Amino acid sequence: MNSHNDSLWQTANSATASEPGGEIVLQVNGQPVAARSTDTVATALLRAGYAYFGYHVKTGRPLAPGCLMGVCFGCLCTIDGRSGMQACLEPVRDGLVISTDSNQVDA
Amino acid sequence: MRDRVDVLIIGSGPAGLAAAEELARYRLDVCLLDEQLGAGGQIWRNTMPAPEWPGVQFNPSSTVVDVDVDESVSVTWLQTSIAGRVLRNTQARALIIATGAMERPVLFPGAQLPGVMGVGAVQGVFKQSGLVPRGHGVILAGHGPLLLLTAEQILSHGGSIDAVLELSRPGALANAIRRCPSALISDRGLLHQGLQLLIKFRQSGIRVLKKVTALQACGSDQLEQVQFVSEGRSHTLPARLLAVHDGVFPNTQLTRLLNLEHHWNEAQQSFAPVTRADGLSSHACVWIAGDGAGIAGVDLAVKRGKLTGISVAQTLEPTLSRQVAFDPLAAMTQLKNDIRRRLPARHFVDALYPALPVEHFATPDTIVCRCEAIRLSAVHSAIASGAIGPNRVKTFTRCGMGACQGRQCSTPLTRIIADATGRSAEKVGALRIRPPLKPTLIGDYLSLHASELDHSDANA
Repeated sequence: MNSHNDSLWQTANSATASEPGGEIVLQVNGQPVAARSTDTVATALLRAGYAYFGYHVKTGRPLAPGCLMGVCFGCLCTIDGRSGMQACLEPVRDGLVISTDSNQVDA
Repeated sequence: MRDRVDVLIIGSGPAGLAAAEELARYRLDVCLLDEQLGAGGQIWRNTMPAPEWPGVQFNPSSTVVDVDVDESVSVTWLQTSIAGRVLRNTQARALIIATGAMERPVLFPGAQLPGVMGVGAVQGVFKQSGLVPRGHGVILAGHGPLLLLTAEQILSHGGSIDAVLELSRPGALANAIRRCPSALISDRGLLHQGLQLLIKFRQSGIRVLKKVTALQACGSDQLEQVQFVSEGRSHTLPARLLAVHDGVFPNTQLTRLLNLEHHWNEAQQSFAPVTRADGLSSHACVWIAGDGAGIAGVDLAVKRGKLTGISVAQTLEPTLSRQVAFDPLAAMTQLKNDIRRRLPARHFVDALYPALPVEHFATPDTIVCRCEAIRLSAVHSAIASGAIGPNRVKTFTRCGMGACQGRQCSTPLTRIIADATGRSAEKVGALRIRPPLKPTLIGDYLSLHASELDHSDANA
């Protein structure tokens, strides 16, 4: 299951506990997800425990990020109503609406 | 929105930044693009302030959609900002491509399962957001300096690793020393760094499983187990993350779009654009700087970027050299000598961590092209039916026709065809790349058109 507890990805010991600036909250599948200002949508979703962000357009199998730098297209999801967006290249901003339930576009 | 600059640089990693800094000294107008959120590329991810050199306009979150070169350069790019998405067009007298490296895809059963990613990706999550994998079920598999460094970073920042599966080829060390004895003196700093990493890794107490074959990832909706054979014994480990690494190679998506001349680099098992020492490609307006012209690492990427920057400035404005506070020709000679002197160390690393054979872990059911879900058996049937080039295999099977536009499967496909047909990879060639370079919405194209209408209204 696309679990939201017991996240694999945890804050590193060295990372600062809090940061200046306002809180950023994303709306992911209708649920609030806290993010940090340096996050991409992909790293914010990984922190929140999402193992995959969408489904393969042909096989219907869950699909997840593999490269985090824009070359694998495994992190495609729907952001602010646009499907097929690369979550690893998308900066977070307060109120961003993300859906990981949709099928991916056939590019 | 259209504008005009002297030099357009794509990629703001070590090479792109170094080139931009040199060009700024000549007071040339530079447009520096990067599709990531900030400058630094992968190696300096999330550590660099936005460059503020005079004449350099830096545009992060900017994706190149199309490039056209003849006597000059025309680049169409999509900028994303708080204000929205705008398609822009920039004309330039010269283009510097500094798009760096990407991880070599490894073909094995289950590689497409959520929970399987590149070791470089794991390091990217750490650099971008300060996250490390923690808890049970973290497995690294592969070989090379990036794997050793990432393992060290995970452990020293409170993460955990259950096991490292060594995927190295036997006899590589002896081969590396025999082939490149000069490496041992050419770059002592680099070799010292490497040795330190190896020592730290050995001292960390991580469970290491050697001579791994038959690697596969298993699970239904996501990774649950990793199965493999190590030194003749079968293993099954519970897993939530499998990070794989088989080295890096140049990202040639853009240089192949431009149909620049490429050669097959046997040691790095990948194509690379053919360049002069200063980075000039087979096209008179296009230079390649850094790892995008062949992997040589960060220190040399900075030097290659500087050299390319000076060379471009000298080519565009030879008379400007009197205005800079250094002797450009002497600086170029010095940089070329430095690069030549230190390259043997890279050849040593290439020989020490040679790419695994492309079908090392693959079974007939293993997926070659994830976007189109094309399996190795389908690729082999296409080859047997006469598709002896990547573009034929693409036509037969749709391999390379999906969302990533062949970024992942092109190089494995070339190697599979070369192995199956006995032809050289150089002759087999690579998938053709067509614009747009990244999937682009029709609405974004319309925004370029709309801004031109606004512009002509304003002029009327």
